[in-house]
Amino acid sequence: MNGSKAMDNRRRRFDQIVAGFHQDMYRYAAWLCRDKSIAEDVVQEALLRAWKSLDALRDDAAAKQWLLTIVRRENARYFERRRLETVDIDNLTASQSALLAEAPDEELTDLREAIYELADDYREPLVLQVLMGYSTSEIAELMDLKQGAVLTRLHRARLKLKENMAGEVTSRAG
Amino acid sequence: MMNCEEYKQAITTDPTFDGGAGHVSACADCQAYRSEMQALNIGIAGALQIDVPKLSMPELPEIEPSVDSDKVVSLASWRKFSRPTGFALAATVLLAAVIGIRMSGVGGSYGSLEEQVLAHVDREPGAFRETSAPVSERRLTRTVPANIAHLNHDAGVITYAQGCRINGNTVPHLVIQGERGPITILLMPEESVGETRIIDGLNVRGVILPVGSGSIAIIGEREEQLERVKQFMLESVNWST
Repeated sequence: MNGSKAMDNRRRRFDQIVAGFHQDMYRYAAWLCRDKSIAEDVVQEALLRAWKSLDALRDDAAAKQWLLTIVRRENARYFERRRLETVDIDNLTASQSALLAEAPDEELTDLREAIYELADDYREPLVLQVLMGYSTSEIAELMDLKQGAVLTRLHRARLKLKENMAGEVTSRAG
Repeated sequence: MMNCEEYKQAITTDPTFDGGAGHVSACADCQAYRSEMQALNIGIAGALQIDVPKLSMPELPEIEPSVDSDKVVSLASWRKFSRPTGFALAATVLLAAVIGIRMSGVGGSYGSLEEQVLAHVDREPGAFRETSAPVSERRLTRTVPANIAHLNHDAGVITYAQGCRINGNTVPHLVIQGERGPITILLMPEESVGETRIIDGLNVRGVILPVGSGSIAIIGEREEQLERVKQFMLESVNWST
């Protein structure tokens, strides 16, 4: 196979993989960093890194996990570089607010804000389970945690959301 | 059979949990709790579905996808491929940590040449691959053209060769396989350093050697013996400019 043909095949394979999982990559990044602009940067860096190390992906069936792992690392790198301050939900930038906008109703907006305010340790496994359809063992592998720790975090995340939403309902009723 | 506490814990952890049928069918409280958690989960799923902007593909660099096995760099015997390791991942993570510590200021600007070298190496995951497959002569010649350096091929398996940007200049990024894993070499004819500079990471270390009007960076795992590599590079690289 000549170099040009091999390059074309490589690019075609990459495009197919990315087309299948770009939305997952972006949403995962957005909920990790809670900022749409940063999420776009993280995804761009992740795509570049994925392209360079595409040969390391032996089985395209594992592409989703592979890409999300890259997104996760790029997100960590981003924050290592910038050391952003803790986000105060009452004082968000436009890019952060954008993540909370667009919800079709008030209840969904409240729930989105409640998820936004969850600690990273709780929000991430929840996103992986609900949005990505991951099992707890897959989450444990991706996050490099014991499965028991994942179960605990998921449990606490939902209890926290349930509690917050109950408060919101009471507040709206009042 | 599960009790209420066990069932509620399971359904809170995963609202699609379908065990405990014997218990829940006879427990109205747990039935109500299950409905509540399932409704919450539907709400969570909806809340997480944010709009996704149109895919914007970054500019992808050319990657050499294959090796011409009949035309490879001549090999020496000092490297033995005996120990596959997790160096790639470890190095990447550790380099990221080192870079995180060394970064200066907000916005990701890199200060010293050492920091730029570390940052660059961290962005080249392909360079950390442990492999015994040498790059082709063609690839090597293209990466290290005669107008940059004359490279003596008599020692070391070069398993990676890529033109990379350091300080605005395209420099050859080579990898040879050391005893502990891949060793990165950056040939930087434009980067003058007055004396040897030390690169010291958590699990990686290296040097930037002054060579004529330029320099050569060599980075390997902390336990790697770099002396032979340094000697080899000093003997085999001659700047053409």
